[in-house]
Amino acid sequence: MARKMRKYADDTPFSLTSMMDMMTIILVFMIKNIDAEGQLVTQAENLILPVSTSKVQPKEVSLTVIVDNNYVLVDNSKIIETAEVLEQEDLLIAKVDSVLKERRETEKEHALTMGLPADEPGNIIVQIDKNIPYDAMYKVMATCGFSGYNNIAFAVSMKDGGEE
Amino acid sequence: MAKEIKRPAAPDEPDLLPAMGLFTILIPMLLSMTAFQKLAIVEVTLPERSMMNLSDDPPPEPDQQSLNLSLAITSDYLVIGARGGFQPNVYFKEMWTFRCKSDGQLITHAPEDVKATVAAGKGPLCKDGKEMDPEKYMYEIETIELWSLYKESEEDPGRVIWAVYSSQGENVPDSVFVDGNNDFLSIVGEGNLGLSPPPALKKPGAGTAVATLAENSARKLRPEDAARSIIYPLSAYDFIAKDLIAIHTQFIDLEDADNIIVVANDDTQFDKIISLMDRSKEAGFTKVNLAKLGG
Repeated sequence: MARKMRKYADDTPFSLTSMMDMMTIILVFMIKNIDAEGQLVTQAENLILPVSTSKVQPKEVSLTVIVDNNYVLVDNSKIIETAEVLEQEDLLIAKVDSVLKERRETEKEHALTMGLPADEPGNIIVQIDKNIPYDAMYKVMATCGFSGYNNIAFAVSMKDGGEE
Repeated sequence: MAKEIKRPAAPDEPDLLPAMGLFTILIPMLLSMTAFQKLAIVEVTLPERSMMNLSDDPPPEPDQQSLNLSLAITSDYLVIGARGGFQPNVYFKEMWTFRCKSDGQLITHAPEDVKATVAAGKGPLCKDGKEMDPEKYMYEIETIELWSLYKESEEDPGRVIWAVYSSQGENVPDSVFVDGNNDFLSIVGEGNLGLSPPPALKKPGAGTAVATLAENSARKLRPEDAARSIIYPLSAYDFIAKDLIAIHTQFIDLEDADNIIVVANDDTQFDKIISLMDRSKEAGFTKVNLAKLGG
């Protein structure tokens, strides 16, 4: 005997209730993870930041130096290979220093134009891959200090994703 | 004539289309504002006397009334120095914990074993028997752990010290427990290098008075917390953190009581430096400076 095919009535309305349930769950999840203050630091590609218990947030947007396994970047521009930094004897990374000094001068000029004190130490955020040796980190830090960026902060991932 | 029974009409479904429209707008907006991984900063204090200063002026004499605290890390041990003296070395065994992509499980291996495996063209082995990518294994390191070692002499390879930790799940240690005398609930491990947890070390039961290294953390263990506690190798970071807290409390009146210099050698990974800076700041040393070992 041929099986009877069940036919749906043509006027059966399309039910959105289940879709609404799904949307509500997504909405609650999003609200839980929302960061209303925004992020002044965004993680660079190709590196893993170390996890820290620090909850300190940067107060303003600062110049960023990135040190990953391949390159040292200033404001996302490749300046020198990390291997070259590790090989050199000097603490000062000349290529990075010249770029930073140029940026510092621009910042000073801008501060004078705005009527702000120009002789205050510059702020810089350094993003370093967690497996980078201390030698490279120390040279980058020394170069930042030498170029006038004495307020150095290291970017880190908040422990447990920053959840309380 | 028989009365026709009226069937109750199906309830009208509310018109959800406007709500759907609203949700469709809200979700992309919220998605753009959502932070799945929050970033923070760790500030470091640069010395006033520049490291690049090449003048021949002699460095200032150390102040005898200052603490001059330093925390040094080498490839084998951590040590606290102050006023020209040093505390006993805290020896450790470095271990790498990976998160396998294949099963999402955590595995812990010694770096030398991992490097030997990778040199043989293989990747670290996961719990499900699959191998990690030998070229990208470094990116899967979740944590670099330093397991405290008990050594009887310099030549002694040492044995791992085991302690009781609180845990939030997945057998991952959170905070180490101390007793009323501020001593770790710890015993040296058994077997080769003390890698087997000592049977004599028992988890504290519900109602036991314990504390962690955090301030005002003394409490009686709740049954759910007692059930979640785990026995895990004592972290050298915790070992050093306890000493740092004691030093900061003891010398709080000194002018440089909040200063510490973290000293490391060239090949120390950045992750370890950040962990030491974290422990120093948690102990109350807000001004952290960095220096090179022997440099």
